[in-house]
Amino acid sequence: MASHDVRDVLNLPADGAGARPSKKQKTSAPRPNLKGLAREVQNLGGDNPIAIVPQISSFKKRRFASRKPAAKWEMRPFHNSARDDATLILRHWRRKDDAPPAQPPPDSHDGQPADDKMAVDESSAEIEDSSFAKFNVKVHVPQYSDDQYNSSLANSDWDKDETDYLMDLVRDFDLRWELIWDRYDYQPDIIQSTEGGDLPGDDNPSSAVVAARKPRTMEELKARYYEVAAKMMAVQKPVQYMNADEFNLHKVMTSFNPAEEARRKKFAENQMSRSKEEAREEEALLVEVKRIMARQEKFNLERRELYNRLDYPHAETTQDLSAFKTSNGLQTLLQNLMTADKSKKRKSIMATADGQSTPASAGASAHPGSTPVADPKRESIAASTTASNHRDSIGAAESRPEKPTKKGAAQPAERRKLTEQEEQIYGVFTTTERLSSGPTFRYERINKILTTKSNAQHQRITNTLAELDIPGRLNMPTKDVVDQMAKLLDNIQTLLELRKISDKLDGEIKLEQAKKAEKDKLNAPAQPQPAASEQASDAQKPSETNGDAKPEAASSTTTDAAKAAAPSTDSANASAEAPHTVNGEGAAEAAEAKPKDGNAEVKKEAAEDKPRPGSSGGHKRSASVLSTVSDQSAKRQKK
Amino acid sequence: MAQQPLTTASVPTDIYGGDEVSALVLDAGYCHTRAGFAGEDVPKSVLPSFYGSVAGTRNVFGDECLVPRADLEIKNYMSRAESVVEDWDAATNIWEHMLIKSLQPEREIHPSKNGLNDPDTKAAADGEGDVAMEDAAAAAAVASGEATEDQEKPLAESPLLMTEAPWNSGKAREKAIEIAMENWGTPAFWLTRTPVAAAFAAGKASALVIDVGGANTSVTAVHDGMILKRSIQKSPAGGLWLSSQIRSMWDSCEPKVDVVPTFMVESKVPVDAGAPAQAKLRKFPFDVSPSFRAYEEERLLTEFKESVVEVWKGPGKYTNPGNEELVKSQPGRIFEMPDGANQMWREQRFRVSEGMWDDAAALPTPGADPITKAQTIPELIRACLNNVDVDLRPNLLGNIVVTGGSSLLTGFNDRLNSELSAMYPGMRIKLHAAGLTTERRFGAWIGGSILASLGTFHQMWISKKEYDENGAGIIEKRCK
Ligand SMILES: Nc1ncnc2c1ncn2[C@@H]1O[C@H](COP(=O)(O)OP(=O)(O)OP(=O)(O)O)[C@@H](O)[C@H]1O
Ligand SMILES: [Mg+2]
Repeated sequence: MASHDVRDVLNLPADGAGARPSKKQKTSAPRPNLKGLAREVQNLGGDNPIAIVPQISSFKKRRFASRKPAAKWEMRPFHNSARDDATLILRHWRRKDDAPPAQPPPDSHDGQPADDKMAVDESSAEIEDSSFAKFNVKVHVPQYSDDQYNSSLANSDWDKDETDYLMDLVRDFDLRWELIWDRYDYQPDIIQSTEGGDLPGDDNPSSAVVAARKPRTMEELKARYYEVAAKMMAVQKPVQYMNADEFNLHKVMTSFNPAEEARRKKFAENQMSRSKEEAREEEALLVEVKRIMARQEKFNLERRELYNRLDYPHAETTQDLSAFKTSNGLQTLLQNLMTADKSKKRKSIMATADGQSTPASAGASAHPGSTPVADPKRESIAASTTASNHRDSIGAAESRPEKPTKKGAAQPAERRKLTEQEEQIYGVFTTTERLSSGPTFRYERINKILTTKSNAQHQRITNTLAELDIPGRLNMPTKDVVDQMAKLLDNIQTLLELRKISDKLDGEIKLEQAKKAEKDKLNAPAQPQPAASEQASDAQKPSETNGDAKPEAASSTTTDAAKAAAPSTDSANASAEAPHTVNGEGAAEAAEAKPKDGNAEVKKEAAEDKPRPGSSGGHKRSASVLSTVSDQSAKRQKK
Repeated sequence: MAQQPLTTASVPTDIYGGDEVSALVLDAGYCHTRAGFAGEDVPKSVLPSFYGSVAGTRNVFGDECLVPRADLEIKNYMSRAESVVEDWDAATNIWEHMLIKSLQPEREIHPSKNGLNDPDTKAAADGEGDVAMEDAAAAAAVASGEATEDQEKPLAESPLLMTEAPWNSGKAREKAIEIAMENWGTPAFWLTRTPVAAAFAAGKASALVIDVGGANTSVTAVHDGMILKRSIQKSPAGGLWLSSQIRSMWDSCEPKVDVVPTFMVESKVPVDAGAPAQAKLRKFPFDVSPSFRAYEEERLLTEFKESVVEVWKGPGKYTNPGNEELVKSQPGRIFEMPDGANQMWREQRFRVSEGMWDDAAALPTPGADPITKAQTIPELIRACLNNVDVDLRPNLLGNIVVTGGSSLLTGFNDRLNSELSAMYPGMRIKLHAAGLTTERRFGAWIGGSILASLGTFHQMWISKKEYDENGAGIIEKRCK
């Protein structure tokens, strides 16, 4: 019902009391044009007409315009070249104007269509081939002649007839073994009766035996077929000439193991005949395993995330970069970093040294500025680059909250990490020393070591190098070589120092001995009991020597500690005997030193922990030991 | 299928593309025979495999002809035990009736030979329309007299695809191709097994087909479009057996249920449930043959089956304690007999179908062997699977195709599923049962229809030429 009608019924003025006559006028104008349903719809809108754009429908026109005579169809005969009997002509509906698809010249069925065409040529141009013919594919079954069979395929369990029968079945069923086995129904007696004439007389008993044989298993059939196929393959093409595919096929076929296969099937069968409880139990176990795996995965994920959080800056923290842009900021950063490393190091050493404070930390806290930052930093980077080291970095995680912030400044946030192997391949390495700006040559590092020494020392080092037959200037300063060289120079320096000390001690000992000899000469007639005095003098002597030696020794140990990177194990081993031989002296020295220095005991422990060229046993090291050590490092260098 | 007026019309690119060659498909079962054109989704012509034999001379086909009359015997051309053709003459008759008379265009026949002017037949035809067939002798005369001389063979245009039971004998198969080639002159012929066809109808080349038909229930494994012969399992526990169960249930009811088929009732008055029927029965001036009455009773039983009988869904057997009590507490179904007697059926309707699953629950049927454990459906499946390679079993269990009219029983699939999951715990079991009743009843026919309209199937047909060259034995070589 349109609104007009409602108004009509209610006796209302027809056109809304002419409220907006002008509008009314407009909208009513197109109305008469509309027809049928469109008008009805328009009317529904009443005074507020719906915006319907009357459209002249083009359907009808188009239909008339595109009218063509109906397509003509015809029953068209065709044949199928995939058939054995390809003369069968069937007919299907095809569009008449459809030219028969251009078909490839019949190749496989050459003989057949020839006569076929003859017959039909007059009536129709040519009978098309079914487009489905190409889908007919056949398996290739090995062929063999009688001779070949006798020479290579004979088998006590199979006679030729049965083998033929098997091959036929294989061909018929396209190698679908389930079907072959299902239909396998070889009846030897039938064969025998047909071929009875040309078989030797002794066949009768054998066939009786064969007839009583139990049915073949699928594994037997497969084994026989693979045997035949593999052998025929090898006959046609010796194994050594086969290409990869053929060889693989051959190998697969020759390595078919029927017993194994039968066992597998037995297993599968057992699996199928499980009871409900077993099945349920297995299912429960599987669910459990899945859950564990899922948890493991989640755990791994979390752990990885944690590692990332520890070693890499957050995206947010990179925003803090501005804080480190001033030199002041950098200074605090350095400070933070150092305390973090210190605490970390303390942690890790505490683990080994039963919670005692270490000289390293003590030393570091004593002179924070002088200790190079390089070492701990290197350690931490190593931890971040190698997965195996993660553990100690995680152990220290709680104790160094400032670390990520600092790192955020030092490293860009997202960077692909190279594995150690890749780093080697690409020759990438992270340096831990503070670099001077601009490119430098690697051997300059060596030069620097040498040039920073005093002239006399430099001379001595060069002499030692000459002694070792190592050129002062490296021919091939690769990273490894330079590293080894630096190490070697380090060791040489230590050696020289120790030599100096031992010379000194030797001198003093000689002096004391000379003194003693003089005293003895004086006292010998007077007092005949040297033991006590000797003891006393012995006790006194070290204290004297100690007094002299100590500063040097102390300095050497501190520098050693600072240089860290424990000296190459070879030299450590070589010197390992040194502390033993001079044990008595060292102990006495330690006992003497105890009241003076609280750290002495700890120092000794540290010395035992990390054996380094004994500070007091240098004189024991013979030239030969020295030479072997340097030989080794030289060899490494050459590598 | 492939005839859309597209540019690709002539070149189906798809391996599954259809290519119609106007083939005919014939599926003969014990209860029904179905015939139609390949490519369609239901058979054009479905007739009961029961036919009427009038006074032993003429055969009449179709339900319309099976009315009470003197000298009418109801027979079946198939064998009850095997679901394979038993009476070849009748089979040829009914097949010709379906394939040629109903499905082929009318052919001009000379008036003297068209039967209309034959006084005998005319009289008979009045009674039953034009469905009655010439008797076998007359048909043979027509075939030999006319067809060979001035008329081509009736099916010279259409390839024919027939289905057969998987256990069909070689002889029967040869006979089938012989009839198709010699009598009807089909240019091409093929025989396919019903399980294969049913699997195709479900869109599968490999499946475990459970066919619960009329005379038999069979379980067969199909691999890659071929049956595995060793796997074939057959049992009489099908639709007819179920009818016999219903009958013994009715017989043992208190009071006994009278089986009065529809044709006997002239008029009836509504009565209360359980009250005796008050109906006026028809009287016939001749003896209604027992076979006709049995056929009519079977119709009644089928109706009862379809509307009342249900399968216990599981889990477990129906006879497990508690199940019957549960069913008794639930609403039953009322069935009214043709004579007006009606009754509510509750637990009995589950009882009768339970024997398919549990031999112990089967009701004793007089004059028939009781069903054995090995003949129950679960055992058939187990035996079937035990006879196929173990590697195939999981795949078969994941592709179970349920077909056949009796599988339409309510709850059948649920029970089957629960039995299978109890038998093979932990295996993936998937049933494919068509939702449409027609697809379930005509499963084998539909599969044949699909097969015969496939473009790739053209290479399979046994052509007339091949038959001529090799004789009927070719069927054994080709239709494996
Ligand atoms: N809805 C239904 N419920 C129960 N049973 C039914 C139903 N519809 C049909 N049937 C039964 O199915 C049987 C017929 O099935 P079908 O047509 O598959 O058998 P068939 O193929 O002729 O016989 P067979 O396969 O044994 O040779 C009949 O016994 C009929 O009673
Ligand atoms: Mg059937």
